[in-house]
Formats: sequence, C-alpha cells, structure tokens
Amino acid sequence: MAGLATTFGSGAMTNSIEEIGQAQVILAVGSNTTEAHPQVARRIFAALDRGAKLIVVDPRRTRLAEHAHLHLALRPGTDIPLINAMMRVILDENLADDLFVEMRTENFLALRDMLFQMDLEAVAAITGVGLAAISAAAQIYARAQKAVICYCLGITQHICGTDNVQAIANLAMLAGQVEKEFTGVDPLRGQNNVQGACDMGALPGVFPSYQPVENQDHREKFERAWGVELPSRPGLTLLQMSHGGAGGPIRGLFVMGENPMLSDPALDKVRETLTGLDFLAVSDLFLTETAALADVVFPAASFAEKTGTFTSSERRVQMVRAAIPPFSGCRTDSDILMALSEAMGYRMDYDSPAEIMEEITLLAPIYGGMFHDRLERSWGLQWPCWNRNHPGTPFLHKYFFTRGRGRFMPGEHQGASEPVDADYPLILNTGRVYHHYHTGTMTRQCPALNRECPEAALEVNPEDAAALKLRTGELVRLASRRGEVTVRVLVSAQTPPGSVYTSFHFPETPINLLTTAARDPKAQCPEYKVCAVRLAKV
Amino acid sequence: MNDHLILKKDHTLSLLRRLMREHRLVAPLRNRHGDTLFSEVEDLAGAELDLEHQPQASLKPFLFPQQETMFRYRLDGEGGYRFEPPEPGRPLLFFGVRACDLSAVLYLDVIFSKRGRDPYYFARRRDSLLISLACNQPFANCFCNSAKTGPFLEYGFDLQLTDLGDRYLVEVGRARGAELVGRWRHFFTPAEEADRKAQYQALLESRSHFQRQVHLEQAIRRLQADEPLPEELWAGLSRRCQDCGGCAYVCPTCTCFTITDQQITATEGLRQRSWDACTFGGFTRLAGGHNPVDPGREAVRQRFLHKLLYDVREHGRPSCVGCGRCVGICFGGVDIVRFIDLVCEVRQ
Repeated sequence: MAGLATTFGSGAMTNSIEEIGQAQVILAVGSNTTEAHPQVARRIFAALDRGAKLIVVDPRRTRLAEHAHLHLALRPGTDIPLINAMMRVILDENLADDLFVEMRTENFLALRDMLFQMDLEAVAAITGVGLAAISAAAQIYARAQKAVICYCLGITQHICGTDNVQAIANLAMLAGQVEKEFTGVDPLRGQNNVQGACDMGALPGVFPSYQPVENQDHREKFERAWGVELPSRPGLTLLQMSHGGAGGPIRGLFVMGENPMLSDPALDKVRETLTGLDFLAVSDLFLTETAALADVVFPAASFAEKTGTFTSSERRVQMVRAAIPPFSGCRTDSDILMALSEAMGYRMDYDSPAEIMEEITLLAPIYGGMFHDRLERSWGLQWPCWNRNHPGTPFLHKYFFTRGRGRFMPGEHQGASEPVDADYPLILNTGRVYHHYHTGTMTRQCPALNRECPEAALEVNPEDAAALKLRTGELVRLASRRGEVTVRVLVSAQTPPGSVYTSFHFPETPINLLTTAARDPKAQCPEYKVCAVRLAKV
Repeated sequence: MNDHLILKKDHTLSLLRRLMREHRLVAPLRNRHGDTLFSEVEDLAGAELDLEHQPQASLKPFLFPQQETMFRYRLDGEGGYRFEPPEPGRPLLFFGVRACDLSAVLYLDVIFSKRGRDPYYFARRRDSLLISLACNQPFANCFCNSAKTGPFLEYGFDLQLTDLGDRYLVEVGRARGAELVGRWRHFFTPAEEADRKAQYQALLESRSHFQRQVHLEQAIRRLQADEPLPEELWAGLSRRCQDCGGCAYVCPTCTCFTITDQQITATEGLRQRSWDACTFGGFTRLAGGHNPVDPGREAVRQRFLHKLLYDVREHGRPSCVGCGRCVGICFGGVDIVRFIDLVCEVRQ
C-alpha cells in the first residue's frame, strides 16, 4: 500500500475486478490467483477466452502459470531486477509512452539513468530468467492497448516489498498502462474487508480516508468530531507491537479478529510478547491460539449476524445484512467496542450501523456519499465517492493521479534478509491453499473443508526429493534458525528446485515458528516469502 | 373426465390458499434482494410469487436437503444407544415448476429407489404434489429442447399449467392431479378447442425462442463411440475448474452425498448427510493420500461422463435436464454446455 501511495497517491486497485476480463494483456506477478482469488481468476479466464495474453511472474508453476503464454519463473525475491530489465527493454525498443511520461509523471530522468546503467546479463544471472523471455514479456505488455498488472503477496511479503510495488508502478507508468478503463495496476487484497480496515484508518499513521495524523487540520477535524485530544505521531505497526518482546513498547493489547500466534512471523518472539503483557483481550468467533493466552475473551458475532459494510479489493463498499441474530452470548464488533468505550468513560452514541456510516461520510472524504440507503439499493459504490450524487469511481487516476503527477521511484535489487547457505540450503516460501482461510479459525471448523485439505503439505521439487530420498506422504523435520516443525512432504514440480513451499493455516504445523521477522522498513511487512531452511527425515 | 381444463389466473391464489391447508406450498418467490428462489410460502398474501424468472436453485433442496439429519443418537445409560429418526413434515406441494426441474425430480425418484427406497427422500416425496408451468419463454442458458425435457411436459406432472394470458390451460397428469381437480372442481372449467390451439401455438413459439444451440444428442453419440476423447480436452477443462462444487450444488440431478457424525455432547450427537461433489479432491482420495483422479487433468471427467454417458447406458437417457444453471454459476467457464460444444468439435 505504501508503494502505490508514493507513486500514484492511492493504495488500492486502480481498476474494478470486472475490467480485468476485458484487458488484452494480463501480467500477474506474485499472485496464486486461482487459489487465493478465484473470482479474479475467473475474469482472467474470461479475458483469455477473448484472446488476451497472460504473463505470469512467479517462482512456482501455479495453476495460473499453466494457462500463461509466458511464465517467468524467477528466483524468489528478484522481482525488482526482473521488472527493471523489462523497463530497459521498453526503452531500448522505443515502446515507452513518451506523452504519458511527459504529461502525467515526474522523476523520469532518475529512472532512465538507472535503467541505462544496468547490466542485463547480470539480471539474467540474478533472476534465473532468460533475457529472451524478459524481452518478450516487456514487449507484449508495452505494445498492448489495454494491459493490467495484478500483484499480490508474492510482491509485498519481501524485505523490499514497498520497492517491489514501486517497480511495478514504474513499469505501468513507463508503458502508459494506467488511467484508462481495463488498464491499470491491481493489488489483490486477501480479506473481504482489509481494504475497508485500511480505509478506516486501521493503520498507524492515518485517520480514516488516509488523512495523516501529523496534519493539524485533519487532526483538528477529528478532535472536533470526537471531543478528545488526538495524538500527532503515528502509532506502532503490528510487528513493532508483536515483536517488542516481554517488557517491550506495549503493556496491554486488544486483538480483534486476528490470530498473531499463528499468522505473525517468528512465533516464539510473539509468544514472549503476548505472555509478557500486563493485559491481553481478544475478540473472535472461536478460541484461537491467541485468544487462549488472553485475560479476557469477547465472543464475537460472525458476518451472518451483523449489519454494516465490507469494502472489497476493488474499493467497492457493499452492505451486509444480519441474516440471523447473534448466537446467545455473542455480540457484534461495534457492540463490543461501544460497550468497552462506555466502560472506559467515553460514551459512543450510535443508534445503528447506518448512523456510524453517517459519521464516516462526514469525516472520510472518499466515503462522502456512502450512505446506507444508497448502498442498500445497489451492488455497492466504489470510492472515491465524494457526495450523495456521486456515482462512485470504477477506475482511478483518470486525467490525473491522486497525488497529481505519478512519481517514478527507481529501485535496485536487494538480496533476501536470510540467504541460503550450507547449513540451511533451501528457501522456504509460504502461502495459502484454496480450502482454508488464514489461520483456519473459521475454515478448520468445517468438516467438508477439512476433508479436502486436512493438513499442511510441504511441496518439495522432485529433484530435491530425489537427492534427499523423500517420497510424498513422508514426514520431515523442517527447521530454520528460529524453530522447527514436522510436516508431510508432497513431491511436486510446482515448486522449483532449491525451494520448498507450504501454508500457514494449520496450528498443528505452525510454520511461522520458522519464518523471519525481518521486514520491509517502509510498510513493516514481514518477509514471509523467503527464509533459509533445511529438512531431514523424521 | 376431460383432462384439459381452464383455471382463471384470478382464482389461482385462492386455490393455492386452500391447498395450503394440507400441504406445505413451495413456489418461486422473489425475495427482498431481488433473487427468485423456490421457497416455502408462509403467508401467501405477503409473498411475491415470481413466475417470470428462473429460480436460482432447483427443487432438489426440498427433497434432498443440502444437509439433513438422518437421526439423533443418545446413550441410554445402560451401555446402549437410543436412535431418534427425524419427524416427517406435512406433504409438499410444488407450484410453478418448470419442465426441466420436474424432469429432474423424476430422475431423483429413479436414483433414490435404485438400491431400495431411500427413506429420507421418499418421506418427503411420497405425498408431494407437482404443479408444473410450461415454459412459454425459455431463459438465456436453457437447452431443455436439446435435452428433451421441455419446454412442455408430456408426462410426470400432477397438473401442468400453460399460461394463456388471463388464464391457465390445465392438463391433468397423474391420479393425484385428477384427485385435486375433482376435489376443487368449482375452480376449473372445461377447456375449449380454441384454448388447446392457443396452447399448441405457445409451444411452437417457445421452441423458437431458445437462444443457445446445444447439440446434446450429437455429443452423446460421440461419447458412445469407442474412441476416447483426447486427454488434452479433459486437461484443458480440468485446469480451469476452480473446485467450488457450484455445478453439482445447483444441478437438479446431482445426488452424491457424504455422511458425517457430529457429536453434540458426551452422550448425544447427530448423523448427518450432506451434498458432495465428484469434482472435489476429497471425493476420491484414498486413506493413504493417493487420488486415482488427477485433479489437475481429470477433475471434471466423472461429472460429465456420468451425466452424458453412464446414465445413458444405465437409464437410457442423460441426466442433464438442460436447465442451464451450471452455465451461469461456473467460475471457470467449464460448464456442461462448453463440454458438449468441445465434444462436438472433436473429429471422429
């Protein structure tokens, strides 16, 4: 999000999901779309049926890669040199959109200078992708009239995640592939409402609608509305909280609908922090690994039991309506928050979720026209939606970027935080499977999904499996410098030689005991996609 | 008795209201979100009957629920179990059923009586009444003309209604339909020759309104040929299957289920059966982890061959009724129509 905010001015999908079906070229980078975003994959298939070209950039041979016209199987963590090389090809082949660069962007010279200094042969060596393939990909992308880039956590969950995103934004601007319908840069958000959480200021440095807390005007606006004094400095990011250790920067923590005891990296450190707190409260549907450590647990209501809105990846705010009343003893999130607030001496006075939304329309400009009665009557509205008469915005950056001019942010290759070595010779890459959602808090309760995917599987390339004499179904001990787990092997050519791949859904196999807490300094997103491991038969 | 009658539309709701005294009425209702679904009608005056749109699901959930309790069990304290079967409900009356969905019920009857009668299914089906509505206007994905299950039915219904503007032409099918007409005789008047002609005209017009050309018979003939289909055809389809099971769930004739026990307390629990789908990996995976079906290359093979080949062998007709629902629901665009088209393209 930080990457797109600095280059474009807005950290969200520039297109609507539906538009992807009309693109002529789709460049999917670090996205296992068929497993993680089937509704997006469906649009990619629709585009393919219309004759579109698909380029997949992913170390793994995913299901989507099987559909690709071109699969660039780069080494994990080498996205920046690959994309820089694509941009260099675009310059060399005279395929840059000069008018767009001139009229709509800034800082192009810095990018151009960097690109002309780079050594393409070295890129091929770093990324493991041949120059011919890189060149073909660049030409297909730049020559298209309507091209879309979809990227996901394969881009962001690296130590250079923000720079990766900026490289993608550079590529799109250089080829002039933004600002139009069916054309743009689309980060695919994983959860139904993670976009909404960001929009509402569940980030350390901004109020709702991305209004920075340092800005006095914004702060005063919220102080007037809420009648309290608000901090002028950004708060802590998740990892700053969970990796502070016992006696770290925080003493008390309230966790809502999140399970850091399974999802955060370097779990031993997380446990140390959480058990060292003076007070921990958790609100969730089920007793998660995190809730088990809490002093107080609030049983929360599920999506089917509450009314409000979710904001999807395409910035679309949609109504959800309570289909059933909350189970006995459970309360909705807003109920829990309001009761807590009242108990702590600040009365929140809202009669209904619609009234909360009315306050949002007052304070968050991009949600200015999102009244419940409008959302009720439609499939939702896409922000920015400035006022009651505004129809919403299907695609962003038409005529000008949100920040004015798009800014090129040249970046160079950075090695992974933990390169492989003789002791830990394999790269561990983590991701998701189709049948489970995050820490399995909900999906592991479902017998059908548990039958489909009952346990974690460690994908090992046939070459590595042969060298280690491993067969599918065998148990191995997988260890990094931080911890080890026992996991079942799945020999699969989907994962390239030298890497192994598994998911983090299973409390029985808490893979995040192994992952590293090294993180991107700007977005503070941990490097889940690369850490050095070794494995041995049990 | 004349088996062609007229029922004025003005009197339809009054008739249904009387029938509701002894039956649970299930009809296509439009809900407040604009979706049309077969729903049980609690209050006929407040319900919005919608006979213009295709209901999003078939009748299957009413006869074979997505999840049903086969019995409750309880430890009786003396080392034995006490089993409690579910209570049977009042008989069902289905109104406004399209030809495809009714044909599907006839297929379900066959499937659930293959190895002895399935008690759960027939507890609901036994006394049910089916009042069908001939399709004057097929929907966008329909191909019942090709599946030979519609748009008008010749048998299988208790009553079949044909919309003739301000009135329905009523055909009496099974004995139960005749019984109904006999009991509520004052609602019906004998049909004139002109009414029958109007019905025939409606049938001809309906046949000309299909938007899709689906060559089901040609595909079946190709499948019956000894030569297997190219592996690449199966792989191409299976690669795009996104494993959601939507096709099997909306399909009015898919009947695979799985049985699970759910413990409620230390001494009691439920045995439930719930829908399953052959496209799921867990459907065929063996205990050791081996899956005889390669999901990446063969995920949809069983589904399509079962519908169009195995059932033709066993029952003499395919079990696809041409309702077109899977065409609308499929995430990956690998519905049965695409399959039929691909099979027809394969050179013999």
